Amino acid sequence: MTPRPAIALALGLAATPAFAESGQEWLARMGAALSNASYLGEFVSESAGRTERFAITHRVRDGVVSERLVSLSGHGRELVRENDEVVVYLPDQKLAIIERRSGRSDLLGALPQFEGRMAAWYKVDWVGRETLDDFGPTAVVAVRPLDSFRFGYRLWIDVDSHMPVRSDLSDGSGRVIERLRFTRLKFDNAIPDSAFEPALDRRKLRWVRQSPQSDDEAPAWRAAQVPPGFRLSASGVQALAGPNAPVGHLVYSDGLATVSVFIRVPRPGQVPAAGTSRSGVASAYTTVVDGHQVTAVGEVPTRTLKAIATSLRPAAATPDEARAAANRRN
Amino acid sequence: MTDRIKEQLSAFLDGELPDPESALLLKRLERDDELRGALSRYSLIGAVLRSDGDVPAARQVAARVSAAIAREPARGTRFVRLPGYGAFLRAAAGAAVAAGVALGAVLLVQQIESQDAAAPDAVMAQADLPPVQPVTDDLDPLDGTADIYVTPPAPDAPAGIPPAELANYLVAHYGYASPLARRSVGAGLISDDDPAFVEQLPPAETTDP
Repeated sequence: MTPRPAIALALGLAATPAFAESGQEWLARMGAALSNASYLGEFVSESAGRTERFAITHRVRDGVVSERLVSLSGHGRELVRENDEVVVYLPDQKLAIIERRSGRSDLLGALPQFEGRMAAWYKVDWVGRETLDDFGPTAVVAVRPLDSFRFGYRLWIDVDSHMPVRSDLSDGSGRVIERLRFTRLKFDNAIPDSAFEPALDRRKLRWVRQSPQSDDEAPAWRAAQVPPGFRLSASGVQALAGPNAPVGHLVYSDGLATVSVFIRVPRPGQVPAAGTSRSGVASAYTTVVDGHQVTAVGEVPTRTLKAIATSLRPAAATPDEARAAANRRN
Repeated sequence: MTDRIKEQLSAFLDGELPDPESALLLKRLERDDELRGALSRYSLIGAVLRSDGDVPAARQVAARVSAAIAREPARGTRFVRLPGYGAFLRAAAGAAVAAGVALGAVLLVQQIESQDAAAPDAVMAQADLPPVQPVTDDLDPLDGTADIYVTPPAPDAPAGIPPAELANYLVAHYGYASPLARRSVGAGLISDDDPAFVEQLPPAETTDP
């Protein structure tokens, strides 16, 4: 790694010689580093018995976040984002999916403060110091969920750069679901634009654009009940690859964990899907509500997805209509 | 086996056992060979009595088993495996009904945990199954080699959404994931092991970059 004092200076971090060994303090430092640092690195993802390597290039310049994530195994799939636009390149499928949202800056979102409302759902614990082979001394902080509706984290924060160099995602019982571990990390405040160009021939790809239809348009659906702490944080209607009709998109969050709910009308003659799916640490639960296919997606336990998806109701429904709909479902 | 269980079996076969009790009975059937044998005998007797030896009534029993399984909350895809009709007729002729070929034998093909799917291997399991065949009326009832698989109603089958559809949702969700989880979600999206992009749905909009 780069000499540590240089890292702190490059990131504009205050050189405080005597830190309070508090989990909250370390999370705040980590959040600042995540928001400001520009770096190149490689990390390993271990999940479900598989190990995969990724390269990452991350730059923050004039408030604009650029990031390129490349799978170093197999087909060289990539994800490139610049602020609110995300492009997933799938060379093996000769496909690129563009997700662009206007007027929002969720991708710049900072780490939440684990105080106030958040303290009811998560507990931040200072675990201690631990020396990692690749990075030297780290501060270890645990973010523990206080119920089984959300996952927890254990973070190894480099004491000089304040970057999380390892993170374990775990369920309510402490069982690790996924481990992300940096194997290489180099800070660089002069990463050129060319570093965010995908290493593939873009002319050979089929481009699929996913975008909002209207900022003012919101799906007329709401979850009647959500797990404790979750609130509606965004809603809209957008075009997605696949469905011909617009898809309603609601986002529920407890401040850290987020759940996206997608509502769509099945194609004529199509039996709506139902059940549970999975991709990496994200799960999806699909059910049918009033003839609509409702899918909740998020990096949370399936019970959280199920609780939200099954409680979805047309927002304009009166209590009598809601009861009638419930009777139809039963 | 207690009289109470026998009564439950009888009620189940007559379609009169409440759903919650049916669910419990089905769970017990999975692990109790004696109970499966009894179910087989009872159902065979009932089928023969109700249908003069024909098999439609037996199919109704099978459908009832299937429907009851399908109604079970938070259970995975199950398939009810029925023996060939010839086996029934041979059994009706007086052969002992082996528990292994019992009418109610439930072949659990796939089950997805409902309480906590956090375990990476808990979901998205795609079982490599034999072809599913519908029950039809044109099967030769004497053909003892024909296995029949009855699937639960499709809307209750927890097959999940197609991988490509899940991928599209994840791309849309990515921007809302928390800073701590976003990298994991992104890595999952481009993971080579991820089946999410194996199938592709027709795009809503295809355009140049």
